[in-house]
Amino acid sequence: MSPKPMLRNVLLGATIIAGMTAAAIAQVPPADQPPGTGNATPPAEQPAPPADSFAPPSPNAPQSPGVNAANIPDGPPAEPSAATPMVEQVTANPAHDDWPGYGRDDRATRFSPLDQITPSNVGHLKRAFIYHTGSKPAPGQTNKWAAETTPIKVGDGLYMCSAMNDMMRIDPATGKEVWHFHANEKYDSIPYTAACKAVVYYTSSTVPEGEHCHHRILEATLDERLIEVDSEDGKVCEGFGWHGMVNLMKGMGESVPGFVAETAPPPIVNGAIITNQEILDGQRRWAPSGVIRGYDAETGRFLWAWDVNRPHEHGEPKEGEHYSRGTPNSWAAMIGDNALGLVYVPTGNSAADYYSAMRSPEENKVSSAVVAIDVKTGEPRWVFQTVHKDVWDYDIGSQPTLMDFTKPDGTTVPALIMPTKRGQTFVLDRRTGDPVLPVEERPAPSPGMVPGDTRAPTQPWSVGMPRLGFAPLKEADMWGMSPIDQLYCRLKYRRAHYVGEFTPPSIDKPWLEYPGYNGGSDWGSVAYDEKTGILIANWNNTPMYDQLVNRKKADQLGLMPVDDPNYKPGGGGAEGAGAMAETPYGIVVSPFWDEYTGMMCNRPPYGMITAIDMHTQKVLWQHPLGSARANGPFGLPTHLPLNIGTPNNGGPVITAGGLIFVAATTDNMIHAFDIHTGKEVWNDVLPGGGQATPMTYEYKGKQYVAIMAGGHHFMMTPVTDDLVVYALDNVN
Amino acid sequence: MSSFMRPQDAAGWATLVLAVIIILLGLPLVYMGAELAALGGSWYYVICGLAVTLSGVLMALGRVAGALLYLAACAFTWLWALWEVGLDGWGLLPRVFGPSLIAIAVLLCMPVLKRAEAAHSPSARKVA
Repeated sequence: MSPKPMLRNVLLGATIIAGMTAAAIAQVPPADQPPGTGNATPPAEQPAPPADSFAPPSPNAPQSPGVNAANIPDGPPAEPSAATPMVEQVTANPAHDDWPGYGRDDRATRFSPLDQITPSNVGHLKRAFIYHTGSKPAPGQTNKWAAETTPIKVGDGLYMCSAMNDMMRIDPATGKEVWHFHANEKYDSIPYTAACKAVVYYTSSTVPEGEHCHHRILEATLDERLIEVDSEDGKVCEGFGWHGMVNLMKGMGESVPGFVAETAPPPIVNGAIITNQEILDGQRRWAPSGVIRGYDAETGRFLWAWDVNRPHEHGEPKEGEHYSRGTPNSWAAMIGDNALGLVYVPTGNSAADYYSAMRSPEENKVSSAVVAIDVKTGEPRWVFQTVHKDVWDYDIGSQPTLMDFTKPDGTTVPALIMPTKRGQTFVLDRRTGDPVLPVEERPAPSPGMVPGDTRAPTQPWSVGMPRLGFAPLKEADMWGMSPIDQLYCRLKYRRAHYVGEFTPPSIDKPWLEYPGYNGGSDWGSVAYDEKTGILIANWNNTPMYDQLVNRKKADQLGLMPVDDPNYKPGGGGAEGAGAMAETPYGIVVSPFWDEYTGMMCNRPPYGMITAIDMHTQKVLWQHPLGSARANGPFGLPTHLPLNIGTPNNGGPVITAGGLIFVAATTDNMIHAFDIHTGKEVWNDVLPGGGQATPMTYEYKGKQYVAIMAGGHHFMMTPVTDDLVVYALDNVN
Repeated sequence: MSSFMRPQDAAGWATLVLAVIIILLGLPLVYMGAELAALGGSWYYVICGLAVTLSGVLMALGRVAGALLYLAACAFTWLWALWEVGLDGWGLLPRVFGPSLIAIAVLLCMPVLKRAEAAHSPSARKVA
């Protein structure tokens, strides 16, 4: 029992009037609170038959209008086929001045050899231009925007997509728009977030140089299309798919707009475009499939599918059939490996993230894992799992980074760095998936607290790599502005189940999920300098407070899946409470915070940046990332330059000039750090939230740094359509 | 039986308001602190909450002992905070910053309380 909220507000008001403190933390958005101990007891007798108000549509039901918004004709189901051979792409050996891919190169190092800007002259970095993509919420539209875009630069062109998948080419020196491709995407197609992380530059092997669509710009869209346009004029490539487009909803079965979307750039590996897709979390057990597919980069022709519960069928589903539903979805940026003929797929969780009793053994093998798929056949070559039977939404959000790892005996291993939300960073042999650095299977709490849903007895820990995280929470780690709100958080801590990172989900009272699904490394991924062996990672320290609710309670809370006819936007979303229809339970998820002040319950920092020497696997330096200037209690900015460490989304960039550029923080700033000392040597306040990974390029002798200040609706940072580009003001 | 202060001036009113604020801050510490202790958590809050609430009541009654009790509770809080988090700035902030500010206010009210107590003393009554 807690005191009446009104009373507590008055008391807190009094504490603050008494001048308690103005120190602050990052804002976290409102969310439903777990119902607490008043929640109904678990159905001990039998797993309650889902007395579900939701009547699931047949998986073969026709897709709702607007799912295939461009009305792309499908044609008959395709058999597996082979890709058109590929010529070497610009990302294989990027030109010195360019940033030709999302992670710059084929290894996603986010390292640039440019060195015009250095720690000693970075103070001269000033805005060169701002480009407006034109995509932001219209008046009256719920804000679902977070562009998350990193432009790419090849030769004379800066190419990017808007949050709603328009593509454009911009002059790298002036920001003048050269062409603008309109994707004509509908608001209804936005899943949880309107985002487009990057476009892909592709050079054709069949269209000769100088002809239309020799150089192409490719994107995957929120409304599940692949689109290829010419890099010179922005007009669609007629030789690709149907008038330049491929319908990725083909074979997916029943769906509604916004249920399935793609926000990451699809890699092209040995001529095959590899697609994954984000399936809206928390909706229902038999959500659309997490299938991974290959398409020919030249023609858009279907190549193969890897469908978890149809493991040996690599063709498209026959008429009246569909890809297997509810399978783990992968929404992170993947990375290819032309030499080994593999694509590395960071996977997420089966649908209904917090309840695992209905998952198939095939799903349990590949969820929250790295899966290496043969790009010729769609057969998985190896799997490395980062969480066994994940019920914590520890899906992998980061893009893997490739490196050559030198072992103590001097031999070199082609390796892959896989950061995770757990803050465990796994280093694997790309050929086999075997750990290069030691991984221990450690006991985890088992069997758990949900009837019929047992937890795995062990979980993997990457003990050879420094952890991007802190020790388990203690009561004394609770925080606040005053003893009263600190006490409130200590109570919340004691009222919940918590036995460490793998605390099993519970029904009788809330449980603490820490590091939490926003913890560790998310889609921003990491940057790696191959020459010095320095790895840079920015990460989060933001626990969650969760509780399973029985079906009756979930119905009372109004939780329903997105394809329920009664669904209202806001009635349960991907990052908040979810119906998990077709399972016995719904899920209530909220930040572990004081819901009255909007401050996190754990003590700061909430965001960190770490430099790791990959030769020795030691931390070189580490400190809080982000200031309290734009955040504070009750959502009020403090304007204090306290380096408190805020939640952050968006990756870092390393330059040969000895700098790290990272925005990401909720103080709406872009920061530059000296890579050797970790000292902040420059920053600037952006017009919106910098929740994107920056990039850098040189053009006509001048180095530029670009950051999409698109903001993020969940991080509650200001949303804009501004791409902000900086250059030194003392260089001509 | 003691009676509540009857403020004669601004300083008197400020002292009474401070006493009421201290009571209002102490009560939730007792209430939530008792639950925390029952759940196996820290006993500091319920103990300190009782002391703070009592100190507020005594101050409202015009007793110097109330102020002294608050100052003692604040000193105890400092010791406890240093024991729990050491010299960690972020950790000390919620534990000692606010209570110390109030302690300064309590010190400023001491002369008022002394006057009030003198006015209530038997010798003072005789004079009146």
